[in-house]
Amino acid sequence: MSDVTHETDVLVIGGGIAGTFAAIKARESGAKRVLQVCKGNVGKSGCSAFAAGFFNVPLPTDDLDAMFKDMVRDGGYLRMQDRVQDHLEQAHLVMQDMMSYGVDFVRKDSGELERVPGWTRDLGLMFNGPNLMEAMRKASLEKGVEQVNRAMVTDFLTHDGRVVGAAGFDVMNGEFHIFKAGVTILASGMCRYKSLPPGQRDTTGDGTVAALRAGATVCDTESDFSLNNAFVAHWDIGPGMNMYVGQGGRLLNGRGERFMEKYDPVRKDRAIAGMRCLAMGLEVRQGKGPIYMDMTHLDPEQVGRIKKALPLASLMHQRAGFLVGDRFVKPIEWMITAPHAQVGLAVDRRFQSSLPGLFACGESAAAQAMTKSLGCAATSGVTAGVAAARYAQEAGEPQIDRAQVAELRERLYQPLQRKDGIEPDQVVLAVQEVVAPYTVLLIRHGERMKKAIAEVEDILKNQAPLLQAYDHHYLRMAIEASSMAKIAELQLKSALFRTESRVALREDYPYTDNVNWLKWINMKQEGENLKISTEDVPMGRYRFRPERPEHLHPLWQAAENIGAIKIEKGAVSWA
Amino acid sequence: MGVRRIDWELCDGCEICVDYCPMDVLRMDRETNKVYIKYLRDCQGCFLCERECPQDAIYCFPVRERRIPLAW
Ligand SMILES: Cc1cc2nc3c(=O)[nH]c(=O)nc-3n(C[C@H](O)[C@H](O)[C@H](O)COP(=O)(O)OP(=O)(O)OC[C@H]3O[C@@H](n4cnc5c(N)ncnc54)[C@H](O)[C@@H]3O)c2cc1C
Ligand code: SF4
Ligand code: SF4
Repeated sequence: MSDVTHETDVLVIGGGIAGTFAAIKARESGAKRVLQVCKGNVGKSGCSAFAAGFFNVPLPTDDLDAMFKDMVRDGGYLRMQDRVQDHLEQAHLVMQDMMSYGVDFVRKDSGELERVPGWTRDLGLMFNGPNLMEAMRKASLEKGVEQVNRAMVTDFLTHDGRVVGAAGFDVMNGEFHIFKAGVTILASGMCRYKSLPPGQRDTTGDGTVAALRAGATVCDTESDFSLNNAFVAHWDIGPGMNMYVGQGGRLLNGRGERFMEKYDPVRKDRAIAGMRCLAMGLEVRQGKGPIYMDMTHLDPEQVGRIKKALPLASLMHQRAGFLVGDRFVKPIEWMITAPHAQVGLAVDRRFQSSLPGLFACGESAAAQAMTKSLGCAATSGVTAGVAAARYAQEAGEPQIDRAQVAELRERLYQPLQRKDGIEPDQVVLAVQEVVAPYTVLLIRHGERMKKAIAEVEDILKNQAPLLQAYDHHYLRMAIEASSMAKIAELQLKSALFRTESRVALREDYPYTDNVNWLKWINMKQEGENLKISTEDVPMGRYRFRPERPEHLHPLWQAAENIGAIKIEKGAVSWA
Repeated sequence: MGVRRIDWELCDGCEICVDYCPMDVLRMDRETNKVYIKYLRDCQGCFLCERECPQDAIYCFPVRERRIPLAW
């Protein structure tokens, strides 16, 4: 089989909203050759293509200061506040761009954009599901971006410490692809462990793992405001939680009680997604599961809005018999997903990573850069695209190390030669069994996490190296499975390292510790060892700071108030 | 289950679904010029193929093809 070599000024890895914006903006900033590579199809893969119809965008007429404060607080004060400011300033411009590309945001009869409640106080725009990324895909082509679809990137190419492109293979015919690039932007999303709901089982953290191998610093996921999401439990239906609660959907526990007001009296069902998931976990832990989403009281107008914004999820609800005509006919059992693992690359305000020549945006950048959600991923892509184009103009001609390419090529195809190896499915299931239980990464305890780490280390040592593939489709699945295992290790180890409750809850450390833990956790692979270190959040130059040095996590406080837990010797004990 | 049926009476072999499937589940049979389900277990049930097929030849159903360990 022959190799296919591409040369470009800017290489963008990923066909979601972050990558597509980065590619478009790199072209607009003067990069002559921009190439976007995607293991699926640009605009038809990743989370962006299946996002739940809600585009959270602050407008200049909104109370931006209040939003700024909320965003910092919801991110547990770990967010890069200069980046939060950039996002607030850019988001409405990004929205204008999107409309010029043909994204149809829902409008009122008067023609004015319709803004609807989603999570928190912010109002968002609605769009018709897949239309958004279809318009983005076309805009990228119209701007002269070259798209290479069905090519999975597996490694970065480096020369004298600089990233000079990437390598990968065509998942259909197996051809080896070499991408020689002046600068590379990683936008391959995060890892969602192939969990619920449909439409995101292709994001497995491959890019992060490849960057870690190339020497990049990656960061912990704690600062992500929503560690999980929640969806229909036993059917493949989704997404839409924000949209459903925005239209009046209510979460109920197994006794038919509304419970969100106990945990977030102000925002109730419209609390941020992460808070909702934690509250569900606490209800289940108290024996009040399972959890239901009740939309039976929604009127046809509200259901109509849901149908418009979520055509695929609505069709799924209809097929399963939950949605008949314009009524939801019964409460639907819901479940939280496996944790989102936004183990992303450490980046600066311009989305430059710790490796020269490599930028990262969207969900493959660290959570503190505030890159999750369509709006945030979009503004991060814009900034990264502009900055990377400048880097490419100033950096010299990239040099490829032939010996490195040969070695990567050799290693890549090994699973195809293996006989009697391990099935990708086996590794996927093994990893899911470790990370999915809500008592591991949502409601945490050091002892449970240590056990989970031992299990993941065992998978990494004894299963991942033996993965086998029958053809190039399975080769992709094998790489995805081993990426998932590595991401689980990174996520669990950083979670264990953080001895406090900040965004997630720890039973053994129930307090939020603003004296010792206003820190980011950085990880770097050094040979066999994962080196974990911390970096102070530069609070001194930030606008918003936590008010108290230490306090019981608000959700533990709520649980204590209702008598579900007691704090004894500094730890949680269940009533 | 996800993708459940491809109606070969209707399929004209345009390959749009093959191109768009994020999980690479569908393939073209070059002999018959029809699409078939090659990697069912990897289907993520996203309904994209059904939505995009210009001939309405594809039918999906929202039941999981593989067991997914749940949170509780
Ligand atoms: C079910 C669901 C519903 C959501 N709903 C909303 C919503 O309503 N509103 C909202 O604001 N946010 C929503 N979000 C979040 C939002 O979708 C994401 O934050 C955003 O789309 C992330 O964009 P991204 O470009 O960083 O990554 P993604 O869109 O995930 O794109 C990643 C891309 O990288 C490609 N890729 C991955 N690995 C490789 C590789 N090795 N080689 C080459 N290419 C690769 C993938 O094919 C894909 O094209 C939702 C998320 C999910 C999962
Ligand atoms: S999109 Fe429809 S018509 Fe085209 S190949 Fe697929 S099934 Fe056949
Ligand atoms: S439902 Fe989605 S994953 Fe399954 S075959 Fe269709 S496009 Fe592919």
